[in-house]
Amino acid sequence: MKAHSHPGPCKEINGYRHRRRKPTKPASTSYSSHYPKPAASCGGGGGSSQAMASSSTPAAVREMQKDLEVQANALSKIQKDIAKNHQVRKQYTIQVGENELVLKELELLSDGANVYKLIGPVLVKQDLAEAKANVKKRIEYISAELKRMDRALKDLEEKQNSKKESIFKLQQRMQAVQAKA
Amino acid sequence: MASPGRIELDKLSVEQLKGLKEQTDLEFNLLQDSLTKIRTAATRLENASAALHDLSLRPHGKKMLVPLTASLYVPGSLDDAETVLVDVGTGYFIEKTMAQGKEYCERKINLLKSNFDELAEVATKKKAIAEDMAMLLQAKLRQASPGPNS
Repeated sequence: MKAHSHPGPCKEINGYRHRRRKPTKPASTSYSSHYPKPAASCGGGGGSSQAMASSSTPAAVREMQKDLEVQANALSKIQKDIAKNHQVRKQYTIQVGENELVLKELELLSDGANVYKLIGPVLVKQDLAEAKANVKKRIEYISAELKRMDRALKDLEEKQNSKKESIFKLQQRMQAVQAKA
Repeated sequence: MASPGRIELDKLSVEQLKGLKEQTDLEFNLLQDSLTKIRTAATRLENASAALHDLSLRPHGKKMLVPLTASLYVPGSLDDAETVLVDVGTGYFIEKTMAQGKEYCERKINLLKSNFDELAEVATKKKAIAEDMAMLLQAKLRQASPGPNS
């Protein structure tokens, strides 16, 4: 059988191979033994075509490879999102820490002390109570943002894991198919 | 924060052990960076404290050179050394007396010192773990290839 000459198709694809074509439209019509199209699994959680018949034609292998690429791209996108999430979360954590320090200082002040805020190049006198309220509000806001990011991060991680699993299964299937060829 | 695989270090393959060790090394380097930053900040605070102290010694009306920009100084006289403006972060400045200002510096320096100590502890622990992993890795490598490694 003509072994398809893709360089190491069974490698863990974490690199950035660009998609060559939109998910298989012309090729798909020639297979009657294929179940749910890989094209549909572009957004779906993969692994839906588990009942695929074991057609070892090179075209089937090609399809699976394309599907694999699609999944791999999705995975790398998710990982990038996770990295960005971490970055933003780090920023927020630093800000919240700083604001808490400021709040502590403000609390230590007796009521008469003057507080100034730096707005651009201008130091503007502020009311102590107002300054405290502002800082408290900022802390609350940033903490809420942090919680939101935490939730988003958990979602992303779950998605990443499920994608990894589906890629793994695909790879296994491809290996099985190629072993037969 | 302890990775669950820590307990089974022996069972890990050479590859995994290597990866884990690299990760630990990375973490240790990050900790070192943070330690350095804390030290820098503490030094700056100490300079500020010294400057404050010096300022408090000067009499009212003393002639001095006032920096307008980084390279421009103008002659002036010291007006009031009793109140100082303290930068507390996020754009807020607080007017304090000289004594309070000095106390603020002290407080911050102590805070930084305690943070530094905590971090140093964590860093030494990480280093110990990394070294353990390195030794284990070497032992494994020696085990795995006694032949070609003559």
